[in-house]
Amino acid sequence: MPYLGCEETVKELKRALSNPNIQADRLRYRSYITRVIRSMTQGLDVSALFMDMVKASATVDVVQKKLVYLYMCTYASHKPDLALLAINTLRKDCADPNPMVRGLALRNMCNFRMPGITEYIQQPILTGLRDKASYVRRVAVLGCAKMHSLRPSTEIDPSIVNELYALLRDPDPVVMVNCLRALEEILREEGGVVINKPIAHHLLNRLKDLDSWAQSEVLIFLMRYRPRGDDELFDVLSLLDEFLQSVHTPVMAATLRLFLRLAAAHPAVQADALLRARGPLLAACGSASRELRFAGLCHVQQVLRSQPALYSGQYKRFFCGYSEPGYIKLRKMEILVELVNDENVVLVLEELKSYCTDVSPELAQAAIAAIGHIGRTYTEKCLDILTGLLALQQEHVTSAVIRTFRDLVWFCPQSIGAVCRAVEVCGENPQDTEGKQALLWLLGMHGEQISSAPYVLEGFIDGIKAELSSAVKTELLTAALKLFLCRPAETQDMLGRLLHYCIDEESDMCVRDRALLYYRLLQCGVDEARKILLGPESDPSMTVLAGRPEEPVGCWASGFNTLGPLAGADAHPDAPPADSSAQHCHSTEEEVVSKPPCQPGLTLGPPLSHEAFERLWVELRVLHRQTLGFPPPAAPPETLQAVLQLVKVQALAFSRCEARPWKAYVCARAGSTLVLAELLHGDPAVPDSQDALLLSVKQRPENLQAIRGFVSVLKTSAVQVQGQKSVT
Amino acid sequence: MIGGLFIYNHKGEVLISRVYRDDIGRNAVDAFRVNVIHARQQVRSPVTNIARTSFFHVKRSNIWLAAVTKQNVNAAMVFEFLYKMCDVMTAYFGKISEENIKNNFVLIYELLDEILDFGYPQNSETGALKTFITQQGIKSQPQTKEEQSQITSQVTGQIGWRREGIKYRRNELFLDVLESVNLLMSPQGQVLSAHVSGRVVMKSYLSGMPECKFGMNDKIVIDKQGKAGASDEAGKSSGKQSIAIDDCTFHQCVRLSKFDSERSISFIPPDGEYELMRYRTTKDIILPFRVIPLVREVGRTKLEVKVVIKSNFKPSLLAQKIEVRIPTPLNTSGVQVICMKGKAKYKASENAIVWKIKRMAGMKESQISAEIELLPTNDKKKWARPPISMNFEVPFAPSGLKVRYLKVFESKLNYSDHDVIKWVRYIGRSGIYETRC
Repeated sequence: MPYLGCEETVKELKRALSNPNIQADRLRYRSYITRVIRSMTQGLDVSALFMDMVKASATVDVVQKKLVYLYMCTYASHKPDLALLAINTLRKDCADPNPMVRGLALRNMCNFRMPGITEYIQQPILTGLRDKASYVRRVAVLGCAKMHSLRPSTEIDPSIVNELYALLRDPDPVVMVNCLRALEEILREEGGVVINKPIAHHLLNRLKDLDSWAQSEVLIFLMRYRPRGDDELFDVLSLLDEFLQSVHTPVMAATLRLFLRLAAAHPAVQADALLRARGPLLAACGSASRELRFAGLCHVQQVLRSQPALYSGQYKRFFCGYSEPGYIKLRKMEILVELVNDENVVLVLEELKSYCTDVSPELAQAAIAAIGHIGRTYTEKCLDILTGLLALQQEHVTSAVIRTFRDLVWFCPQSIGAVCRAVEVCGENPQDTEGKQALLWLLGMHGEQISSAPYVLEGFIDGIKAELSSAVKTELLTAALKLFLCRPAETQDMLGRLLHYCIDEESDMCVRDRALLYYRLLQCGVDEARKILLGPESDPSMTVLAGRPEEPVGCWASGFNTLGPLAGADAHPDAPPADSSAQHCHSTEEEVVSKPPCQPGLTLGPPLSHEAFERLWVELRVLHRQTLGFPPPAAPPETLQAVLQLVKVQALAFSRCEARPWKAYVCARAGSTLVLAELLHGDPAVPDSQDALLLSVKQRPENLQAIRGFVSVLKTSAVQVQGQKSVT
Repeated sequence: MIGGLFIYNHKGEVLISRVYRDDIGRNAVDAFRVNVIHARQQVRSPVTNIARTSFFHVKRSNIWLAAVTKQNVNAAMVFEFLYKMCDVMTAYFGKISEENIKNNFVLIYELLDEILDFGYPQNSETGALKTFITQQGIKSQPQTKEEQSQITSQVTGQIGWRREGIKYRRNELFLDVLESVNLLMSPQGQVLSAHVSGRVVMKSYLSGMPECKFGMNDKIVIDKQGKAGASDEAGKSSGKQSIAIDDCTFHQCVRLSKFDSERSISFIPPDGEYELMRYRTTKDIILPFRVIPLVREVGRTKLEVKVVIKSNFKPSLLAQKIEVRIPTPLNTSGVQVICMKGKAKYKASENAIVWKIKRMAGMKESQISAEIELLPTNDKKKWARPPISMNFEVPFAPSGLKVRYLKVFESKLNYSDHDVIKWVRYIGRSGIYETRC
């Protein structure tokens, strides 16, 4: 919101900041800097003061430093050349004895959004990762992620990735979680941070030390992990058990989601978890803050999709309070409909009835629709209530009731008689489009049972000139024709008038064409028309009458505890919140967990130790053996190691280059599989290895596509090494 | 993760805007203002999705706090974060109001800088934050050795919520049990739903790194002890009853593993004021007041209302700040009120008769009767009778919770449990306390 006189303000501030008298007075100087920040917040462009602010950053006053840094972070991208001037001060601060100053400087340096900054921040970040104060380490770890986001297209530096994996063992819990967050961002292209068994177990054991935010994030990361075998699975679940009952709603929900995911093959365990999470979820629904209550209700709705009976004993918890906001009331009503059973139906209906007179028409109509929904099972009770509501003679109520009647008649043919009597005595007609359509449909469909039908219809036909909605006109045409077929004497005259008007005067094509169609149909003879219009309907018993089928838990578990459940279809019709980024997240998760074969590319993971390699090598059998069509590269081991690291292959051991037999051991990760390989040359015991390299590959878990990818990567890098040699 | 955080006043002017991630542009600030704050209709949902960006908002008095993100995040977590943010701000400068935010905006920026980094929550404990936030302006160079080492230990320490080397001349503890009792009662006097949500708030001024143990009349503990020894007799004779807690949550300082195994609450407390636990009970709630309404419609232009309230607790206790709100129809033209106690007034602007009583002892009864005259209208709309609501404050815990002990152990310093001065107070307030009529 730039306001008038902004240039004046900037000039005045500039004058003040460069005034040596003010610079000498610390407090006054700071108050001017505060004014700069205030103007910045209000949307004023104060980037012209950059030079003066850079000068102000050279101070010992921490508050002033913070203010200036805030300013610089905002405008650094506009003035990259000037921002470079500030870098020196910042780098000096990174070596300050006070950890707070170190952390502050590092954090803000990383926040500068300008392209050339990376070269200046790399060194301080690496130093920060090994700082003795955890505060600085926290900042440095996230700094790695920021550095990556500045240049997302550049190669990932494997040394940083390794360092971050190592820092997962940091004693400070926040550093550990920040590592996960940073790795996730850096390795996003490759499917995110790899959670293998040691990491998963480490995370599970540290879970207790974390604060609630970190806990719920770690629980989401753990979704990637697949325990091997049931024994490990149940160990993991029992570790997670206490969090299911826990503390903060987000943690509880995240645990539940993880439970459902891990125990996907054990429906009994899933059901048990849902039962145990019932208490905490209900607590969230009764929480003091309405937003959390809303979130809780949305999640209960998800659970109800597979286990409607789980909450029916607690139906009273979902009664609405008078002062609750509309969005909560709507959700509660939807839940109440799901919970109805023989025992509570009377009380629930009583409750819903009292909502029908709510001040907000939207809520009142929702309550009526809810009663209609219950009416599909408990028809008589609901019909009484709905008929009673007509006596209120409220426009919006009548309209909603008529609409509910229409649906009810369709689902429960036994209610036709009662509905017709109710419509008969209803003194008032709905005024909104949908209500009119419903009433017309009822009149047309069951006109023979409603004695006043022709008179009501006549009212509509007389007022057709004033009718705006073409949908209502079309419905009116159909209703008039149907009524004519069963009560011709009373209706013939008005049908004629209606057809005449619609064909001659109506401007809406749809309505006109429909009228013409009916006209010609009648020309073919009344019997023909009757055959077509009043032909046998589809059997309503074919449709699912009451109650949805119970869905398997898997249908909704993947969206649990995300934004998905909170976004009802009606809440945001234009933009579904499970937007592309959300879907993207999901799909990457899916890929990592269930379809590693689709990922031939190699990924970076935590480095494998020599002992672990040896153990695995002995344990596994050779899956694939092939000769590579070239001799061993004659480069020194360091070069080979560097080349392999570039293509994300970890080299564990090499023979010297002139040794015979020549051997090398390497390993790599592809998605969630681990590839181990041996390269052999000139071993007299193995004839294949005499004149070319022999490659033996072992793998866990098996995945042939990954092996193919690995071999091709190895070949290209070998060619590269040869090429380099020939150039030199 | 959170991409940005905005604070607006009721007009939609931006008071604070802090963007953490590149994917949130400046136009996000305006998008929320236009689509939510300036939207004509009521708020449809606390989560709003505008152009693939999700806005989570909470409102405190007339201030809007909105968190923005482009990721598919966990909604409950973002809301908890916003509440935490509100709590932290309240702890620093009191009520969240436009004026307070404007006066403290430097502090808020400092807080936002420490609490979130790159959109990830880092540290949200008021006590621990105090070390980093420098409103008075600590100088970095001439800092004393001691102060510096203090910060270092804070920055590297294992216990994030308490700094070392705290000293008080008087070791004091204040314990407040604050409960709000919620009720929804049918006109016939049947309880439709009732629950108590309570908080145990502690103010600790203790030296060193004390270890505290807190005990209450939790049913599970009492039953266990009853089985173990003959102590249940003592429990019965003193008239103490145990309560069943439906669910409870603790401050992060409480060792949850110990709570799960032994159900004992032990912790190293943060310094100053904090919330030790939150709990909820639904069984055996003492409802401090009962409201008995009688509404009679006399013809189309007159209503007779009689409301009796009964206090239902020990006669020696006094309830305070009692207020009964009896709603009246929109077409009310005049009201005559007669009440035996307190003052009652018809407030046309609020469409209600407000009956205030300063104090009322237990086991008493009071009544109000009113004649409401209505304007004849041709509006056929039936009056949807809103419930009668009530506010009060009582000096006991409606859930029946009692503090049994609070022990302090500090092995390194020479003060013992007896030297600590402890204060315990119970306050029960009304939450949503409604009786339908």
